[in-house]
Amino acid sequence: MSSFTPYTYFQCPCTEASLPNHRNPSQEEPSSSDDDRTFDPRAPRANYSLYPLEHLFYCEDCHQIRCPRCVLDEIVTWYCPNCLFEVPSSSVKAEGNRCTRSCFQCPVCIAPLSVSSLEAPPTGLGYEYAPQNGPFVLNCGYCSWSSKETGIEFEKPNGIFAQLARVKNGGEPILTAKERKKDRERKRDFSGTSAEKEREETPEVEIPREPLDPNEKLDPESQFSNLKAFYQGQLAEASPASALGFTGDYGYGSPGALSRIMGLYTGSTAFDKKVKAKAGTMREAQDALEGLQLTTISEEEEALTKLRTEGWHCTSSASQRAEFLNTNAQFITELRPVAYLLRTKRSKRCRTCRHILSKPESKVSTIRFRIRLVALNYIPSISIKPLQPTSSASSLLQPMRPVQFLLTFKNPLFDSVKVTLATPTKTPGRFASKVTVLCPQFEVGANTDAWDEALREGTGEKRRTKAEASEGQHQAEAGKVWERGRNWVSVVVEVVPASLHIGGPEFLKNEEMKDDEGPLKEDEDVCEIPVFVRVEWEADAAHDESGLGGGGSKEKDVREKRELAYWCVLGVGRIAKV
Amino acid sequence: MSKKSVKGEYIETDTGNKVSRRSQIIGTTNIILGGKTVIQAEVIIRGDLLRTYPTSTAGEKQGNPVAVAIGRYCFFSRGCELRPPGKLYKGQFSHYPLKITDHVFIGPGSIVEAALIGSHVNIGANCVVGKFAIIKDYVRILDGTVVPPNMVIPSFSIVAGRPGRVVGEIAEGEVDGMDLREVYRAVGNH
Ligand SMILES: [Zn+2]
Ligand SMILES: [Zn+2]
Ligand SMILES: [Zn+2]
Ligand SMILES: [Zn+2]
Repeated sequence: MSSFTPYTYFQCPCTEASLPNHRNPSQEEPSSSDDDRTFDPRAPRANYSLYPLEHLFYCEDCHQIRCPRCVLDEIVTWYCPNCLFEVPSSSVKAEGNRCTRSCFQCPVCIAPLSVSSLEAPPTGLGYEYAPQNGPFVLNCGYCSWSSKETGIEFEKPNGIFAQLARVKNGGEPILTAKERKKDRERKRDFSGTSAEKEREETPEVEIPREPLDPNEKLDPESQFSNLKAFYQGQLAEASPASALGFTGDYGYGSPGALSRIMGLYTGSTAFDKKVKAKAGTMREAQDALEGLQLTTISEEEEALTKLRTEGWHCTSSASQRAEFLNTNAQFITELRPVAYLLRTKRSKRCRTCRHILSKPESKVSTIRFRIRLVALNYIPSISIKPLQPTSSASSLLQPMRPVQFLLTFKNPLFDSVKVTLATPTKTPGRFASKVTVLCPQFEVGANTDAWDEALREGTGEKRRTKAEASEGQHQAEAGKVWERGRNWVSVVVEVVPASLHIGGPEFLKNEEMKDDEGPLKEDEDVCEIPVFVRVEWEADAAHDESGLGGGGSKEKDVREKRELAYWCVLGVGRIAKV
Repeated sequence: MSKKSVKGEYIETDTGNKVSRRSQIIGTTNIILGGKTVIQAEVIIRGDLLRTYPTSTAGEKQGNPVAVAIGRYCFFSRGCELRPPGKLYKGQFSHYPLKITDHVFIGPGSIVEAALIGSHVNIGANCVVGKFAIIKDYVRILDGTVVPPNMVIPSFSIVAGRPGRVVGEIAEGEVDGMDLREVYRAVGNH
């Protein structure tokens, strides 16, 4: 079994309202103070409210802990995680959320693809300056997949995104959106459904293309654009002019669409009636030019033969299809390189008061923060270690054998704080371990800034207390702190681990055990202690308020009482199964 | 504790590096150590894998060529290996320098062939960092990860898997904990 690292999780108060004490609701009174409530870290909901201290923020305006659930994210910068280029939000809107340079992931294993030349390397004098010529392919350095396997090669080593958009697997060119449009128009003129349209500016040197094939096999992008164009056409014909006089644009954001959607609710506009009247004229796509793709028997047979000859390994996995935009790709040969999804730098706001809790520098290359209000700098951290060095043989807690742990509270504030701890005498759950905090109330000294610390370094402040601890018969005493430093205090907590025995005489069982006598569940052998921590201190009132223009600034010595209380969970160890 | 007393585990250099007597550092003249770096037993550093491909800017630098450059407060755990990456380019195989910045922790048994590792990077145990990978600042790579060759890992990423992929982000509060000064101080020489 892997070793157990003790942990401390903090509960964000934002879940308090939605975390009723379901174990003994009779004792819960609506007006009861914090102290009467207990917290069960094993409750299914607790999973969503417990965080390591490092993941929490502190809102200086609400004077409260904030967790990832009660902050709002705001995008500061979009960037490609591979080439690290910043992408302006306007192009994200226009071109989508993927890198449009040359950054691709392997469709088989998601490792990055690199561009390499298929040409023999140059030789002779000055070979290192000779330019490398095409064709180029994308290669995976992890699983050795190559775009060559699917018949894709490139002329240039850069701008791969644009090049890839023009070539199908197998090397056939893809018609661009513009060419598609021309095709559709040609077809419409051909069938004569649309009247004389204004011709495109290009003087149409009509290259005689092969007649448009209504059963043409389309790539997913073309199919989508054809289908979209078809439905747009249908909508335009159904309602020639919307209430606001817009015709062409039938995107979801268009005013026409909006008034139609609103019509769904209000239900009685003239416009609405018109749509209803014309509804009968709508039809479905009929051929490839309108985005309809029919599956033919020969295709199915082809797929079956392929399965028979190449087997399971030639098919794509669900995760590969999920990564790839076309979820219809059945075979590995149908997969295409996946352009990198963009990543963001985000700032975080308090959901309650909207003040900024964290704001990174917008440039991709800088790692600094303009604002970073992390809980780590406001509330004492708690670290756990066993008081007696455990025998190397087993780090498991022995049932019914008392064991002592040192809880070290480190104060990040520049004011000294008073800490009060409360724990239930028995841990919640089926296996109730007994818990005693030997010193539930103590004061932790103020933090000093980094320069002071640097100067003091090596003066042996820590060492002295440690020496004190090790020499003489230092016994854990009730009501006394174990060890104390400048801004930290260690106290002892004693645990009598429960036996993991299921069954036994009825009178020994607690309520939970009577309810459920099933076998040991996952992590049920971990001894977790809920601790209610109350921190009280006095802070400069002027310091925390926005000091500018404050009328009371002459009373600099005004001190303000502060208090913060929250639940923590201490995971101290695994109990041995005997 | 005078240095002449009983031989400790580490040789301490003038700049405060603690180098295990049981480490294998090959090609020391091609390795730069910024100071206060800990190199544990059985660590292998291949300073002998020098660049042989000519540099584009002629007469770039005098003095010793550098194969491995390491910053301050790095910690290389037992049995890890640092190798400059190599590749075939225009028909010639050559190694290229491996640069490691400050506060970089590399776990036991990991093999690193990156081109660049930024500052405050934590690489777990038994990882493989593939050739020419670029890891930016404040990145955590979980135990057993295989970072594929040429992968670029942006700042504040948590990477795991085979092949490695970004599975999470470093929280704002975790940044302070990635400083390795305390870790360096805790290394005794006995
Ligand atoms: Zn919260
Ligand atoms: Zn990119
Ligand atoms: Zn691959
Ligand atoms: Zn707030």
